[in-house]
Amino acid sequence: MRTRLFAALAGLLVVGACSFDILNTNQPTQDDLINNPTRDKLAAAATGLFASARTGIQGFIWRLGSMGREGINLSGNNQPDFIEPYFGPINGGGSFGGTQWGDRYAAIRSGNIYLAALANDNDLSAAEKSASSGFAKTLNALALLYIVEARAQLGAPVDVGHDVAAGPAPFVSEDSVYGYMLGLLTSAQSDLAAGGSGFPFPVPPGFAGFDTPATFILFNRALAAKVYSLRATAGCGGNAATCYTAALTALAGSFIDPTPAAFSSGVFFDYSTAPGDAQNTLSDPPTGLTFFALQDNITDADTQTTGLKDQRVLDKLMPAVDTQLLSAIADIPGELKFTVFMTGGAADPGHSIPIIRDEELVLLRAEAEWFTGAKAAALTDLNLVRQNSGALPASTVGIGDPDAAFVTALLYERRFSLLWEQGTRWIDARRFGRLAGIPPAAAGGNVVSVMPIPKSECDAIGLSLGPLSTDPNVVTCTPLAP
Amino acid sequence: MGKRICLLMVALVCGAAGAWAQGGAGSRQITGVVTASGGGPISGVNVTVSGTAFAAVSHDDGRYSVNAPAGAATLVFRRIGFKRREVTVAADQAGTDVQLEQDIFNLEAVVVTGQQTGVERRNAAISSTTLAGAEVASIPAPALDRALQGRVPGAYVQQNSGAPGGGTQVQIRGSNTVVGSADPLYVVDGVIVSDASISTGLFAITASGNPQSTRNDGEKQDDAVNRITDLNPNDVESYQVLRGAAATSIYGSKGVNGVIIITTKRGQSGRPQASITQRLGFSELQRGPGTRAFTVPEALDQFGDTALIQSYEVNGVLPTYDHLRELAGNKPLSNETQIDLSGGSAGTRYFLSGELKNDGGIITNTGAQRQSIRANVDQSFADKFNLSLTSAFSRTTTQRGFTNNDNSGASVTYAIAYIPGFVPLKPVNGVYPNPGGLSYIGANPLQSTALGHNDETAIRFVGGLNLKWQALQTERQSLSIVGAGGADFLHQKDDILAPPELFFEQAQARPGRSVLNNADGRNVNWNLNGIHTLTSSSWTATTSAGIQWEDRTLSRSRLVGSGLLPGQENVTQGSVLQGFEENTHERTVALYGQEQWLGMDQRLMLSGGVRAERSSANGDVNKYYLFPSLSGSYRFPGLVGQGSDVKLRLAYGETGLQPLFGQKFTTLQGGVVIGGNVGTTVGAVAGDPTIRPELTKEIEAGVDASFWSGRADLELTLYTRKTSDLLVPVTPPPSSGFSLAFVNGGAIRNQGLEIGLGVTPYRSTNANWLLRATFTSLRNKVLELNLPIPACQNLSDTTCGFRPANAGYGLSYGEFFVQRGRPITQIIGVDDQGNTIYIGQVNPKFRLAVTNEFTYHRASLSFMWDWQDGGVAQNQTLSLYDCNVLAPDDGQPSGQARVDACLNTGDARPFVQSTSFLKLRNAQFSLDLPERFAAWFGAKSARVSVEGVNLITITNYFGYDPEVSNYGAQSITRNIDLGPYPPSRQFFFSIKAGF
Repeated sequence: MRTRLFAALAGLLVVGACSFDILNTNQPTQDDLINNPTRDKLAAAATGLFASARTGIQGFIWRLGSMGREGINLSGNNQPDFIEPYFGPINGGGSFGGTQWGDRYAAIRSGNIYLAALANDNDLSAAEKSASSGFAKTLNALALLYIVEARAQLGAPVDVGHDVAAGPAPFVSEDSVYGYMLGLLTSAQSDLAAGGSGFPFPVPPGFAGFDTPATFILFNRALAAKVYSLRATAGCGGNAATCYTAALTALAGSFIDPTPAAFSSGVFFDYSTAPGDAQNTLSDPPTGLTFFALQDNITDADTQTTGLKDQRVLDKLMPAVDTQLLSAIADIPGELKFTVFMTGGAADPGHSIPIIRDEELVLLRAEAEWFTGAKAAALTDLNLVRQNSGALPASTVGIGDPDAAFVTALLYERRFSLLWEQGTRWIDARRFGRLAGIPPAAAGGNVVSVMPIPKSECDAIGLSLGPLSTDPNVVTCTPLAP
Repeated sequence: MGKRICLLMVALVCGAAGAWAQGGAGSRQITGVVTASGGGPISGVNVTVSGTAFAAVSHDDGRYSVNAPAGAATLVFRRIGFKRREVTVAADQAGTDVQLEQDIFNLEAVVVTGQQTGVERRNAAISSTTLAGAEVASIPAPALDRALQGRVPGAYVQQNSGAPGGGTQVQIRGSNTVVGSADPLYVVDGVIVSDASISTGLFAITASGNPQSTRNDGEKQDDAVNRITDLNPNDVESYQVLRGAAATSIYGSKGVNGVIIITTKRGQSGRPQASITQRLGFSELQRGPGTRAFTVPEALDQFGDTALIQSYEVNGVLPTYDHLRELAGNKPLSNETQIDLSGGSAGTRYFLSGELKNDGGIITNTGAQRQSIRANVDQSFADKFNLSLTSAFSRTTTQRGFTNNDNSGASVTYAIAYIPGFVPLKPVNGVYPNPGGLSYIGANPLQSTALGHNDETAIRFVGGLNLKWQALQTERQSLSIVGAGGADFLHQKDDILAPPELFFEQAQARPGRSVLNNADGRNVNWNLNGIHTLTSSSWTATTSAGIQWEDRTLSRSRLVGSGLLPGQENVTQGSVLQGFEENTHERTVALYGQEQWLGMDQRLMLSGGVRAERSSANGDVNKYYLFPSLSGSYRFPGLVGQGSDVKLRLAYGETGLQPLFGQKFTTLQGGVVIGGNVGTTVGAVAGDPTIRPELTKEIEAGVDASFWSGRADLELTLYTRKTSDLLVPVTPPPSSGFSLAFVNGGAIRNQGLEIGLGVTPYRSTNANWLLRATFTSLRNKVLELNLPIPACQNLSDTTCGFRPANAGYGLSYGEFFVQRGRPITQIIGVDDQGNTIYIGQVNPKFRLAVTNEFTYHRASLSFMWDWQDGGVAQNQTLSLYDCNVLAPDDGQPSGQARVDACLNTGDARPFVQSTSFLKLRNAQFSLDLPERFAAWFGAKSARVSVEGVNLITITNYFGYDPEVSNYGAQSITRNIDLGPYPPSRQFFFSIKAGF
């Protein structure tokens, strides 16, 4: 009797010990990717990194483009989209000012999960792992680049790879953000250099020409050059020339090509109308009532010898078929459209968006050359763009002119070469201290200096929001000076 | 930890087995027959010999045979529905026949104290409510849970809408969670059954919420039925509602919301018995918003467009159509047929039943039906074994139309709030007029009800097997081993169609939408128990131990086709097809042990137990969480006069609530496409790998008294419970890459008073007046919120709080806000100055239900009044009417103030309304026909009755019913009113014949 009872109980205990690790079969889980990575899971995660690098970029372009008075979002049903950038205050708790943050850090989280999974993987070769690691680190640096371009002197958290329960990552200064990014990029460069002949994942068409570890380094170095230039204008520890010298070194390792035909080449985010894919909604049709270009883009443009305006203005703008006039911002009627993302004068939701192009690299080199003393070379590069992209006569700036004159000329070329591509005008105006030089465009308007830290981030670190002492039109917390 | 508990259990059972010392020299048999006073024999009566472990059950024709020690013995006879009786049998007496009296207040019920243990109610140290199934089922109700309204102290039973087929939430002892399940646990004949409210997919048509939302806010707005509706209330023998943590701790991390234990009817030995009940009735609209009558100048002032207004004029004036009556003015018939058959002999007993039920809906093309059959069989063999089989199969169908919140024009009760009374909606020559601009997205609700449908079919099987082995029975000891197990399978299918010709569909990018929704649920659980009783002349000790296993899954899938071809309903016959699938799976195992000691002449009862539980829902699946309980009671027989019995009781218990499936996982978002490749990225929600159950600790104290020779019964309970490790949604720093996380980070307290009273103020041979009352009052407070936001770091900062999911529609309309130091169900909003203020809370000050039953000769009359005082609801139906300036009084100053609140000041206060009400829930007049009339159609007995349900509602609440929930069963965000299915009043004529 007792034996039978024991047998029955033993049987029960066996059943009781059966697995309680019931997995979530609805989606892939982070734990599964990190703990049981395979070649295919890692490839899917790598595809996800390409996709998350792209998330929110359109919002970045039109928001920074609005603050820099390139264009405007006149979609009638969402006032903050033009009120905040044109009049202020731009608020960290708002639907305009509180953005361009979470998407980028989600991309970084995805990158860090991928890197953690890579470390546990036994499926890939050492070279493939190294290549994958270099790729992910480069994209993480790219995500931080967008963060720092928008938040600048407010700083940003960089050490964000910890568990959520570990609490918010601390903010570091703008210069430290650049330092961190450059560390990532340098580490990525050496990973890529040891990365063998190919990536163990598919590379989207926007990265054509940069789809092997060796060619991906060209992209990596282009980003490094851009970061060095930004760091230079942010001070570079008191010696801007050091950063510019490093930028020149990085450019030499990048895909820079002074041939005008190569200006449009570079690295791009892909969009398409395929199911599940993202579409380029910046590609507003000529009849669209959302995105418009400001009239200043024409007024401010130089004139070709033929009397026509700068060729870039002619190529990148067209009159709107349907115009938009909102009473809330009557000074800026929507009458001009950007064609930069159109194909054949029509909207193209599959149009790619550049991450970095050769034309920008040439202008980065011009900037770095000027501030490292190679002024003649600088003017050569500047005019290379001016005369080819703009079809304009050579710049009147000479090597004997003050820096300010060169900066004016440089910013003109950067503005029109990179129009409606990445918020260049606003970022440049800030880094060269020329925000006051951007006309507000609307009566009573203000050009804000920086995007605020989102309220949810401020909440998490226990800081409240208030107007920035240096720019009351920015309502943010200041983690670096709490 | 787990191993140790297992060893402990082995030791317990073996110890009991080791104590198998055969005792009891010189025993004898006592036999007799048990009958009901003024009735026939009763089977199933528990006969025990006082001071010994001997026990037996009466069988064929009430006959029993029980072992007893030599010498005089005291026999105790107990059966649910009858009063306990003790009879002394002299040493030389071989038997005794006993008559038992009816027990109208269920004073003698056995209170469940464990998986397989119970205690007589007069000794129970915990609060519980026992209801006879026949009493509950005497009034027709859309679903079983709705029938409990007003009958259980401590429980708020509230309808979500007036739709046929049910949709009810039962809240026992307050709001105990924010994000966890709000439902009590239902146990039917030992099987834990699902009460899931499964989204129908209606939100895919109404666009009530964002399907991509991490909080599923659309799915919750489908006015889904909760699946307990599949159970036929006519089959229920008794309900027992366990409310306190000491009682529910035996259910571990599912016990916090209370446990409703349902026992279905079983066969009785003897001549086969049959009964048939036939009901026929109708329903009609009970209440709803009125219509504003417009004069031509008023209409011009309001709508401006002169030509348009003139086009509606009839003979120079604007007509006023009552759109609500046009929509919900049907008086559909309802019917219900129930057939029972039971009997048994030679150790076999059976109960068979069948039901056909059809409830009409007051809106065209709506209604609910249920067909169910049940077979319960009991077989005893070899004197030591008893096997009970329970099986029930049902098919429940509903047609519920389009109601509740809406963003597309589909919901008819939402759409009528946009259409002025002068706009005609009725079809002319079969053509529905398009209300055009004076409507919500062009919707003509009459067209929507006529052409669209929202139909559901649910198939349900619940079956269980219980095997009891009386391993040992001697004078001093008994040991039984009970194994019980069961399965609950459900399948729900919803088929929703909004054809392309509907006016509101034409505003869609792809007009014509069809939804196919399927859900499969499986709930399997079993338990194995050993129960050992040790009896001495002055005390009884019951030791029990066991193991329980539960495994449940729910798989849901949905297809939404849009851009349908004309005349097509199949989801594939459109231009775009979207899919959804979600599978959840939990597994729980628990070990438990319990000791009950009854002594001091059956006056003192002490009990203690502990349950150790591990579950796959927790972060650490290997950890056993302990749920202990302790309770004690002391009786004072005869304290307030002859036949009185007063008991004081005190109980402490811990219970919990499991995290929801998936809260521990950090998921990756799949289906991310770039460059033709598909990939994964991190999801928005950070899972918590350390997530653990919410833990509730409760102390309850109470008095149970029966006096006036059993003519009065009082139960009074006070409790205070604190829930800690409350799961709260937090917004992590976005720099972490996540936007939402759930953490164990808060504490709330619920305190309350519960009173149950039953009195027979007048009783004579021919007349009887019976009064029952239940009183419930509770208050709660958020004690701690450990949220990572600045306001919560500082303990003196009263703004610490968070907006829960489904909180509402903006501070100008009132929103839920969980805030430290405040009631957890508070609603805040802005006043006319723009200040954010506290407006009210959902829980009422009290709820009091009083039932009076008068019997005179063969006739009886009963009615139940239910009074709720206080509590508020977000009446967004009112705000819809006012924002559209269409409430009946919006042309007058009283209405104008509310219109201003909506359109100008943003004042939320007018739209957060008191839910105080007085309802005549039901009334019944019945007559037992003389037997000669019954004999006309071959019956032994017959009873005819007339019932009215939901007859009167007295309230200042605007619109439909103050009992409402747009988001279905919710712990906190109940009481949001946004175009619900209107409430109806029902009348029935019933005839019940016994054969």
